[in-house]
Amino acid sequence: MPTLNVDGVEVTVENGATVLQACEEAGAEIPRFCYHERLSIAGNCRMCLVEMEKAPKLVASCAMPAADGMVIHTNTEKVKNGREGAMEFLLINHPLDCPICDQGGECDLQDQSMYYGSGNSRYDETKRAVKEKNMGPLIKTTMTRCIHCTRCVRFATEVAGVDELGALNRGENTEIVTYLEEALNSELSGNIIDLCPVGALTSKPYAFTARPWELRKTESVDALDAVGANIRIDSKGQEVMRILPRLNEEINEEWLSDRSRFSYDGLKRQRLDSPYVRKDGKLQAASWSEALQVVADKLNATEAGKIGAITGDIVDAESMKALKDLMDAFEVTSVDCRQDGAKLDASVRSSYLFNSTIAGIEDADALLIVGSNPRYEASLINARIRKRWKKGPFPIGLIGEDVDLTYAREYIGAGAKSLEDVANGKHSFAEVLKKAERPMIIIGQGALTREDGAAILALAKKIADDTGMIGADWNGFNVLHTAASRVAGLDLGLVPGEGGKDVAGMLAAAEAGEMEVVYLLGADEIDTSKLEKAFVIYQGSHGDAGAHVADVILPGVAYTEKDGLWVNTEGRPQLSTRAVFGPGEAREDWTIIRALSEVAGKTLPYNTMEELRAKMVEVAPHFADVDMVTAAAWGDFGAAGNVSDVPFTNPISDNYLTNAISRASGIMAECSQAFAADSEEGTGTHG
Amino acid sequence: MVEFWNSYLLPTVIILAQILAIVVPMLIAMAYLTLYERKVMGAMQLRKGPNVVGLFGMLQPFADGAKLFFKETIIPTGANKFLFLLAPMITFFLALIAWAVIPFDDGWVLADINVGILYLFAISSLGVYGIIISGWASNSRYPFLGALRSAAQMVSYEVSIGFVIITVLLCVGSLNLSEIVRAQSGDLGILNWYFIPLFPMFIIFFVSILAETNRHPFDLPESEAELVAGYQTEYSSMAFALFFLGEYMNMILMCALCTILFLGGWLPPVDIAPFNWIPGVIWFGIKVAALLFVFIWVRATLPRYRYDQLMRLGWKVFLPISLFWVVVTAGFLVAFDMVPA
Amino acid sequence: MGLIDKQARSLLLGEIVQGMAKTFSYMFKNKATVNYPYEKGPLSPRFRGEHALRRYSNGEERCIACKLCEAACPALAITIDAEPREDGSRRTTRYDIDMTKCIYCGFCQEACPVDAIVEGPNFEFATETREELFYDKDKLLANGDRWEQEIAQNLNADTPYR
Repeated sequence: MPTLNVDGVEVTVENGATVLQACEEAGAEIPRFCYHERLSIAGNCRMCLVEMEKAPKLVASCAMPAADGMVIHTNTEKVKNGREGAMEFLLINHPLDCPICDQGGECDLQDQSMYYGSGNSRYDETKRAVKEKNMGPLIKTTMTRCIHCTRCVRFATEVAGVDELGALNRGENTEIVTYLEEALNSELSGNIIDLCPVGALTSKPYAFTARPWELRKTESVDALDAVGANIRIDSKGQEVMRILPRLNEEINEEWLSDRSRFSYDGLKRQRLDSPYVRKDGKLQAASWSEALQVVADKLNATEAGKIGAITGDIVDAESMKALKDLMDAFEVTSVDCRQDGAKLDASVRSSYLFNSTIAGIEDADALLIVGSNPRYEASLINARIRKRWKKGPFPIGLIGEDVDLTYAREYIGAGAKSLEDVANGKHSFAEVLKKAERPMIIIGQGALTREDGAAILALAKKIADDTGMIGADWNGFNVLHTAASRVAGLDLGLVPGEGGKDVAGMLAAAEAGEMEVVYLLGADEIDTSKLEKAFVIYQGSHGDAGAHVADVILPGVAYTEKDGLWVNTEGRPQLSTRAVFGPGEAREDWTIIRALSEVAGKTLPYNTMEELRAKMVEVAPHFADVDMVTAAAWGDFGAAGNVSDVPFTNPISDNYLTNAISRASGIMAECSQAFAADSEEGTGTHG
Repeated sequence: MVEFWNSYLLPTVIILAQILAIVVPMLIAMAYLTLYERKVMGAMQLRKGPNVVGLFGMLQPFADGAKLFFKETIIPTGANKFLFLLAPMITFFLALIAWAVIPFDDGWVLADINVGILYLFAISSLGVYGIIISGWASNSRYPFLGALRSAAQMVSYEVSIGFVIITVLLCVGSLNLSEIVRAQSGDLGILNWYFIPLFPMFIIFFVSILAETNRHPFDLPESEAELVAGYQTEYSSMAFALFFLGEYMNMILMCALCTILFLGGWLPPVDIAPFNWIPGVIWFGIKVAALLFVFIWVRATLPRYRYDQLMRLGWKVFLPISLFWVVVTAGFLVAFDMVPA
Repeated sequence: MGLIDKQARSLLLGEIVQGMAKTFSYMFKNKATVNYPYEKGPLSPRFRGEHALRRYSNGEERCIACKLCEAACPALAITIDAEPREDGSRRTTRYDIDMTKCIYCGFCQEACPVDAIVEGPNFEFATETREELFYDKDKLLANGDRWEQEIAQNLNADTPYR
C-alpha cells in the first residue's frame, strides 16, 4: 500500500495502482485519452503527464506504478507546458472539422484542448488524410480524426474478445484497421463508439441527426433482453435519437449490447397507433371506446374456460399484474407468461433466477453452460464471464450448440445425455465442478423449452446439489432468461391456475376450436397460425405476428414510452422512465387493461401507478426493493424423468432479430444481413 | 297643412340645416387639426410630417379615417357590451352639442340662449361620464386606471375654470356668449379684450383647458408609458374613432371658448379698414387656430407631469390664485364703480 | 430674497417660456427627414437585416448542419434537422427561421464557421401574413442567391476587423 504526496495531499493507494489513479484519489484531475479504467494500459497519448520529483522528465502518470514516497505535482508550469505540447502534437494531424463531426459537443479532444491546449497552432504544414475503414452497418469511421489512443483495439481484444481490430504501420503512418476490411463481428461493437475520445468512430444510424446539447436525456432500463442493462435514452422532441449505456457496476458496467443500443429505430416503424377492430375480415381503425366495448362484450359472453391470456417478452410488470387481475376477475385460469414454453416452476423463486448475480460471476471459479449461447442471449453476461476468464484459471464447460463464446471452454456434448453424464459423475467436468469452491451452472432457455425441460431442470438441480453449488453465501444455480418480462411474470404468478392451460395447451385448444378468446399481451413469439379460429385480442406496440391474427388490436406503448417496473434475470427489479410519448392513440398498457376492466364491469381496484405497485408488492414483496437483488431460498423443483438425446438448440438464431422491436428496426435488419453473409463465408477463425 | 309646414316642419328643416352647417365644417376642421398637429410637431422635431397622401399630405386625415373605419371592432369578452359601445357615443355626442351656443360671428349662433356659459359648463362636466363608463365597461385594468385619473383630473380643473369664468362674468354682467364678446368691443380694438386686464386668469384658463382636454403635459389618463392608452386601450375601429373625434372636438371647443372669453371672439384686433372688412367668422377662426397652435406647441415642448404634481397644481396653485383674483376683480369693480348693469 | 426670486420665476413661467422659444425656433430649421421609399440612408457593412443562406461559387450550399447557429440563437428562432445526404456529406433537411421570433442580434452569423447563414442588407421584407415570415430553407437559399453580391461585398469590407 504505497503512500504518495500529490499536490501536497497524502494518499494511500492499492498495490499495483498507477500514479494516475493516485492523483484521482487525491482529487487532482488528469487529462487523458488512451487511459481507460476497464482496459489495459497503453500509455501512448502522453496527455496524462505529471511532474514527479527526482525524475528528470515529466512522467506519463497512467503507466507509472505508484510507489511509496513519490511526490507528484499536477499543476505546475512545467506540467502545463507538457500538456500543451502533447495536445499540440495530437492536433497536428487532427482535422479542424468539428462543425461536421458528430462527436462535436461531447468530444474529449475538444473539451481538453479548451482546458489544456495552448489556444493557437504553430503548425502550417499539410495534414495527413486517412482512408475510411469499413466497420459494418453500425460504426461510421472518419479515420483522419483518429489520434491512435487504441482504446477501440484494446476493447475489441480484451472485452469483446474478437481480434478484429488492430493498428498497422507506425509513426505518422499508423492506422487503425479491421485487417480484412470487413464489419466488426461483435455483439458489443457499439461500445467502441462510446470509447473513442474523438470523432473517428461514430454511430452510423445516428450520423448527423442531432447534437448532444439538443437531446433530452432520460435514465431508463433496457428491455430487449433479460439482463436489464441501465440505459440513457436521448430523445429530441418526440423521437428517440439514440440509446447509450449508463454505468451500473452490478449489471452492465458501462457497456451495452448492439441489439439494445441500435434497435431504437424499430420504435418508429410498424407501430400500432390506433385501436383496430376486424370487420368483414379486415382490420379497421376504431375508437378506443368502440374497441374496448367489443373486447368487453366478447369476454363477458364467453365462459371462463374458453378464455386464455399469454404475455410476451417485452411487457412491464404493471401490465402483467393488471392482466392477471383482470383474468382473475373473469375467473380465467389459462394464463401464461412463458410464451416460449419453458418448463419453469413459478413456485420456487430460486429455480428461475440467475442466483449468482451478474457481478457474482467474477467470484466463481468453475462454470457449466447448458443449452445457451450467452453471447447472443445476454451479451453483457458473456462479457462478464470473459472478464472472469481473463483474470485467471476458470474452467468452463459447454453443453449444447458448439459456438464461439470468445473464451476457451471445454465442449462436453450437444444434448441432455451429456448433462446426464455430468450429473452422474461420468464426465470429467463433474470433478472440476466438485473441486471448485464456487462452481456455477447456467441453464439457457434452449434446454428448458423442450418437452423434457422439467427433467433437465431436475438434472441441473442435482448437479447443483451434488457439486456444492448451494452454500450459505453462494448459489451457483442460474437460469439465463432471454425475455425482459419473464422473471416479473413468474414472480407475479402468471402461470396456469387450477385447470388452466399453458401456452402449448392454449394453442392446441385454439387450433381445435376449444379456446374461443385469446388475449395476447405483446406476445409475438408463438405459432400464431394456430390462433386462426379463436377471437384474438392483441395488445402491444408493434404490428408483428400477434397483430396479424388479431380481431381487436389495442395499441400499447414501447418500453421507452412508459414508466414501468422490470425484473431482470437476476430477479432485480428496476424502474424504467418514459422518454417520449407513444404514437397516436397508443396508451400505457396497464391503463388500457384498467379501462377495459371498467367497460367490462369488473373495475380493477387501482387508479394510479402507485396503487397498482402497492398491489404488486403484496404479491411479490421484493418488488419494493428497487435495484436490489433479494436472495431466493433454495427449494425443491424440477421433475425427474427420462431425457431425450435430441441436441439442445439455442433460442436465438439471429442475434439481431429477436423481438418485435428489433424486427421492425432497419438497422437490425442491415446487421442481420451483414453478419449472416459474413458467417457464411466464414474464414474458419470463428467458432 | 300650410300652417303645419310653416310652424313646425320648416323650422325643423332650418334647424337641421343649421346643425349640419355647423357639424360638417367642424368635422372637417377636426380632421385637419390632426394633420395640423402632425405637421407642427414634425416641424418642431426637424421632421416633415405626413407628405405622401395627397399634396403635402392633405389627404392624410381621410386616409386615417378610412383605415379606422375598415378596422375590425373588437369587444373584449369580459366587457359590458352595451356600456362599452355607449361610452364613445356619449363622448362624441357631448363634444358636438356644445357647439350649439358658440357664436361664430355676430348673430351666427344656433341657440343664442342667455345662459350659454352655464350650458357649456354643464356639457363639459358630463364629458366625464363617457370616460368613466368606458373605463368601467372595458373590464380591464389599464382603462379603469386611466378613467379614474381622467375623471379626477377633469373634476379638479373644472373648479378653477369655473372661478376664471366668474371673473369674466363679473366684468360682463351676462351669461350670454355673444354678450361676452360684445362687451369686449370698443375703439381700442385688441386692447379692449379681456386677456389684457385679466391676463393671469387667461393663463390659468389656458392651462386648465389643457388639463380639461387631457392634453400634454397633462395627458396622464392615456400616458402610454404607464397605461398603454388609458381608457381607450380596449377600443378599436369606429368606437376608437369616436373617442378620438370627441377629444379633438373638445380641444377646438375649448379654444373657441377661450377666444370668446378673452380674445374678443369674432372682433378684429383693430377696428379700422382693412381689418374690419374681413368677416368676423374668419377672425374667430384665426384666433382659434392660434390657440390650437399653442396647444400643439406645448405638446412638442413640455414633458408629462407626475400625477401628484398635476393635482397639486390644480388644487394648491390654480384654485387659490383664481379665487383670489375673483375677489380682486370684484373689489376693483366695486371700488371704481364699474359693475356692469 | 432667494425664495421670492424662485417663486417669481416659477409664477412668471420663465423656464416654460424658454423651452417654448427653443422649440419654436426649431420650426424653421432644415428638416432631417429622409424621404424613405424614394431615398434611403446609408447602411453599414455590418447591418443586420434579413437572413440568407449562402452557396459556394460552384453552387454547393455552404451550410453543413453543424447547428451552432441553432445553439447560439437566444430567441430559439432557428430549427434545424439534418441527416447524411446521398453523397455522405452532412446537410440540413430542414432549416427554418421564425422571423417573428428573431431579434436580429447576429449571433447566428457570428457562430457560423462557414459563413453560410448571414444577415444581409435587406430590411424591406414586410409580409401580408404572419405565415410568410416563417422562413424555410428554400426561402433562405433564394435570399442568398438574390443578395449574394451585396453580402459578399459586405463580408469583404468587414474582413479586416474580424
